[in-house]
Amino acid sequence: MDVREWALIAFTILSQMAVGSFIVLGIVYFFVNRKWGEAEADRFSDRALLAIGPVLILGTLASLFHLGNPLNAYRAISNIGESWLSREILTNVLFIGLGAVFAFMQWRKIGSPALRTAIAAVAAIVGVVLVYSMAQVYMLRTAPAWNTIATPITFFTTTFLLGALAVGAAYVVNYAMIKRSDPDCAAAQCDILRLALRWLALAAVLLVGVHLVVQPLYVAYLSNSGTAAASEAVDILMGEYSVLFALRLALVFVGAAILGAFIYRTASTPGREMVLGNLAILAFAVVLVAEVMGRFLFYAMQTNVGL
Amino acid sequence: MAQLAFYFNTARCTGCKACMVACQDKHDLPAETRWRRVAEYSGGEWTRNNDNTFTQNVFAYYMSVACNHCERPICQEVCPAAAITKRDDGIVLIDEDKCIGCRYCEWACPYSAPQFNEDTGTMTKCTMCVDYIDEGQDPACVTACPSRALEIGELEELRAKYGDLAEVAPLPEAALTEPALVIQPSAKVKPVESGAGMLANPKEV
Repeated sequence: MDVREWALIAFTILSQMAVGSFIVLGIVYFFVNRKWGEAEADRFSDRALLAIGPVLILGTLASLFHLGNPLNAYRAISNIGESWLSREILTNVLFIGLGAVFAFMQWRKIGSPALRTAIAAVAAIVGVVLVYSMAQVYMLRTAPAWNTIATPITFFTTTFLLGALAVGAAYVVNYAMIKRSDPDCAAAQCDILRLALRWLALAAVLLVGVHLVVQPLYVAYLSNSGTAAASEAVDILMGEYSVLFALRLALVFVGAAILGAFIYRTASTPGREMVLGNLAILAFAVVLVAEVMGRFLFYAMQTNVGL
Repeated sequence: MAQLAFYFNTARCTGCKACMVACQDKHDLPAETRWRRVAEYSGGEWTRNNDNTFTQNVFAYYMSVACNHCERPICQEVCPAAAITKRDDGIVLIDEDKCIGCRYCEWACPYSAPQFNEDTGTMTKCTMCVDYIDEGQDPACVTACPSRALEIGELEELRAKYGDLAEVAPLPEAALTEPALVIQPSAKVKPVESGAGMLANPKEV
């Protein structure tokens, strides 16, 4: 595994995290806005929204390190009609563009809330198409280990799991910044934080369940599918990388399920924001490491039929 | 124009790899780049009979493989830069000036035809010696074969002459990319995904 594979791991993980964060942020904003009003909702999530930008840019720059001839990178959208890789790059660029326009308008409060919501909704749809395209890139008819429904399910699960936990961690950092500069207005923010983290923790517990159900089914399916390429991929996962695979499943379980349950309980009682914040950041870090390991294994299982 | 194709006779090939070397010489390829490779597929076992004698069904055969200039080239489908084109005579070519070096065609091709050039950062592959073809000559691999196991011709003519087999182990199913390839099988040849043998020289192909 060389720098080119690491570039793809960084690109796919960061882009999926950005899409997931954007959508989760929008959903949380909707409920916070309804209950506490626009000013509190903006204060709660605007910084988190702006943080998505660097994540996306970093991921997209990382993808260039995958190319042997990066000077030609602009040509990557020349085959929209047939190539999912072209569609992936196009939707990635569109998502960056729409996301940047929305973030700028939201930050400077340009345009009506309805207009901003409409732009955000279009960006979210483009984000979903981006993750779908990413999955389709690997669903090659000549690569049986990748060409299964597990690829899109896993990509979308990673998208929303990392999105929920990254947004949770961003809320914690934002809350700490608000509290330091303006302790008086932090009371409502504190209630919002606890409620948001409770729901995000619940989402994380459910999403990790998808990983933990899909992964064994996927391995069982590959083992029984009969092609030499699929068997070879199973051998890689259960042989050379069996320890990493077990560690990846254990870490994602610890990060999302166990820490998620702790976050859920801690968030129920007021006054424990310090512990809650640390738990949320730890859960994000652990799951991020677990998802990077999972994506590493995904690329390590690259086998195709024939020669 | 009709689709051009390679014909390969498994009964005649001795595994000498003259085709591979001629290809590397013609295109001045580095040692690790092999547009044409010779896969060795072998297997079988010894079984003890009741009278303590042994019977064996050991087999080995060679399969010389380059780009098959497929009728449904998956490399062309997946290339995001539209750098891969198919000529009227079916020859599939990579335009290195357009290639971004993403290596996606390398993942997709079930024949390992597209190969990465570390020096230029772009993909390369068998051109069917398109310069020779345009001059009316045969490709270097075909003329180098001492046992006349390789031929080139129009796909339909080759099929009429030798049949339409285009898949044997260790090649992939022909339906995936519809290779412009006609294989003359020998008695030893095994079907695709038979699991009867193994690729004996994985580092050479």
